[in-house]
Amino acid sequence: MKKIRRIVALALAVALVGVTLTACSPKKEESSTSAAPKASDTLIYAQGAEPRGLDPALVDDGESAKVMINIYDGLLKYNKDSTKVEPSLAKSWEVSADGLTYTFHLQEGVKFHDGTDFDAEAVKFNIDRQLPPQVTADMAYASFVYGSVKDVQVVDKKTVKVNLTAPSTPFLSNLAMVMSAPIVSPKALKDNKNNVNQVPVGTGPYKFVKWAKDENIVLVRNDEYWGTKAIAKNVIFKFIKDNSARVVALNNGEADMIDGIDATVVKQITDAGNKIFQAPGMNINYMAYNTSRKPFNDAKLRTAISQAINVPELVKSLYQGYSETATSILPTFMEGYDKSVTQVSYNAEAAAAAIKASGLTSVHMITYTNPRPYNSANGQALAEAIQGYLSKVGVTVKIDAFDWTTYKQKLKAGDYDIAFYGWIGDNGDPDNFMYLLAHEDPSMNIALYKNAEFNKLIAKGVETPAGPARNAIYTQLEKIAAADAAWLPISHAQTLCAYKPNIHNFYFHMTGITPLAGVSKQ
Amino acid sequence: MLKYIFKRILMLIPVLIGVSIIVFLIMRVFSPDPAPIVLGQHATQTAVEVWRQANGLNDPIFLQYYHFITGALTGDLGTSFYTKMPVLKEIFSRFPATIELAVVAIMLASIFGILIGVVSAVKKNSIFDNAGMLLALVGVSMPIFWLGILLIIFFSGTLHWLPSSGRINPMLQPGSVTGFYLIDSLIAGNMDAFGDALRHLVLPASALAMYSMAIIARMTRSSMLETLQQDYIRTARAKGVSEGRVIRKHALRNGLIPIVTVIGLQLGSLLGGAVLTETVFSWPGIGSYTVACILKSDFPVVQGVVLLIAFVFVLVNLLVDVIYAFLDPRIKYSKKEG
Repeated sequence: MKKIRRIVALALAVALVGVTLTACSPKKEESSTSAAPKASDTLIYAQGAEPRGLDPALVDDGESAKVMINIYDGLLKYNKDSTKVEPSLAKSWEVSADGLTYTFHLQEGVKFHDGTDFDAEAVKFNIDRQLPPQVTADMAYASFVYGSVKDVQVVDKKTVKVNLTAPSTPFLSNLAMVMSAPIVSPKALKDNKNNVNQVPVGTGPYKFVKWAKDENIVLVRNDEYWGTKAIAKNVIFKFIKDNSARVVALNNGEADMIDGIDATVVKQITDAGNKIFQAPGMNINYMAYNTSRKPFNDAKLRTAISQAINVPELVKSLYQGYSETATSILPTFMEGYDKSVTQVSYNAEAAAAAIKASGLTSVHMITYTNPRPYNSANGQALAEAIQGYLSKVGVTVKIDAFDWTTYKQKLKAGDYDIAFYGWIGDNGDPDNFMYLLAHEDPSMNIALYKNAEFNKLIAKGVETPAGPARNAIYTQLEKIAAADAAWLPISHAQTLCAYKPNIHNFYFHMTGITPLAGVSKQ
Repeated sequence: MLKYIFKRILMLIPVLIGVSIIVFLIMRVFSPDPAPIVLGQHATQTAVEVWRQANGLNDPIFLQYYHFITGALTGDLGTSFYTKMPVLKEIFSRFPATIELAVVAIMLASIFGILIGVVSAVKKNSIFDNAGMLLALVGVSMPIFWLGILLIIFFSGTLHWLPSSGRINPMLQPGSVTGFYLIDSLIAGNMDAFGDALRHLVLPASALAMYSMAIIARMTRSSMLETLQQDYIRTARAKGVSEGRVIRKHALRNGLIPIVTVIGLQLGSLLGGAVLTETVFSWPGIGSYTVACILKSDFPVVQGVVLLIAFVFVLVNLLVDVIYAFLDPRIKYSKKEG
């Protein structure tokens, strides 16, 4: 009897744990197809982290961008080899003479993946949700992309007018971004409480199928796509956090393409017969002087310190050929970049003499300990390398290194002579980089640089229509920045990807996106 | 006994309240501000303030706790700062993966651990004993991520026998009924999927089982050695009971209590998520997810996960206590039965 009671108790306890655990499992979802398709129909892309979500208005991370670019279209898109904008959902557009009204003529016969029509109302709906009063604090890119928009008018089904509060040339570049700008099905937004992070519905070449959390996202070709249809039938984005495991996955045939690799594994990949794709990076890795206080409120002294550092040598040894030495703030492929811009060149003797004359013997540097997208080596390694150069010209450097989040708070406090930072371009417009030196927020402008002439030119650049006149403004801004030496530009990090030899037409765009519609597998 | 179980379940309440207060305070005191992390590169000071206000982080801390706990009581653990998804949904989409891995690993660890322990005890100081204990020593000493990477490099990278990451080939993934792919694929009658899920489990489960197996083997050995010294064992042998039966029925059964305790504790901690194993094998479980959320200061998710893990841990321990009574008739939990 006692035994029976004990068995009942045991069974109850097991059942209790069992029920709790199974209650934790997700509810039944749509059953997927059990017949595995041909391997050549499926592209597998392995990335290092899971996307934050797939609603372009609610995310800000690169991992999300790689998936979203295949699901959505924006009004405009980037040229394959540069950051110039091209027509996409908008087949053409006009800008009014005062630069305040943009009229977009939309593609016809375009449908969202849920079967609803893409039209001017959909464009208005998408922009309106990111403008006051509807915009929310979670829309990280709303004010960046649509900050200059006053309102949106539907002219007719295929024409939409966007009115700005002030002329803004970067606005067109913003519309090609994969954050905020892509057009989401208004029906899907209404059905999902204004958040399609888990159920993206766009007009793009691939349709969303399913998302197994922390595992993968599966997309299938949109056979009704309005443009050139995708080649591969299925695309799978896998999330493999460990870098070496990602390399094994590629070499083992579990992935066709991988990203986020570093120089140390290149040989292992090529030895296995796979290929490397080296994409230029839209970013800048720099050292900033605190121009708001002594000793570096003096441009001559800043120049002397910059002169003591052999940047090309530093970049070569630190990044092993996978970062480009920066001669300007703007990456070389961007509008406004000009070959004539250079930074002060290395001259240790001249630097030592100038520093000695100034009486400077020690500086306080703060830096970060983690690798960053623009600095794969991490801030501490960079600071220590520079410490080496400065010791040769008689300057003792005290380095304080912090983890990234603490570091940002230290930057805000402003107690440093020299600090390290970087910037990842958003929209491919030169203003996006040069504006950092005019920014009023000290967490953006860590050099605390203030120059009225510079700021005036920045304002002029925003208003001036794209073209040689505008590019000349940015060249001039670069020259001022180089002469004033508030920053020492160090490098533009490249993105390293790898892919199997049977993959064709793979590319990683400099804005950090991977359109896979044109990629095939044999 | 039933009364005892009921009492233990009631005791969960103060435990969970205590845990919730501790995790709530730790996250808010020691974690960096989530606003700049959520807002990313464009986090200007104004944007940060607006976001903090919108997410209630400028409220007094007791008011924040009150909102959290009243929500939790109604089954609403809030929304992830980072993904804007309900916390419960985020957790439950990952928990089955952790359970599946933990259960398979603890089964492997128990079977091999007890086997090695018993053999080592019975053949004390023999080559089997020495080999078994050497394996156990290696098991407790070897860092699990290193073992994981070695397994990946050898079985996936070199031999190409087993997959290196994930739970299943996405194209074979069965419809989700329980969230456990082994069970789901059997329900769907899809043997390809079952085999594939099993293949994906081999490496992470082996890596994870290694440490638990070592602990269980050592515990089994010492417990068995002690039991084998008892008078009743001698009596049993004197009565002419076969050696196999002496070991199974007399020694092992009596030596099992501390072993079950260890297995229970191991299972409890494995269900809390095996962070390193999950990271190395890209196993989509709760452990690596929680660490990622701690690094992102995603308060609601971390609070939710810790509460859940505490809950599961207490339940597993309760199960272990009940198993004691089952194994040893002398253990009783209520006067009525005594």
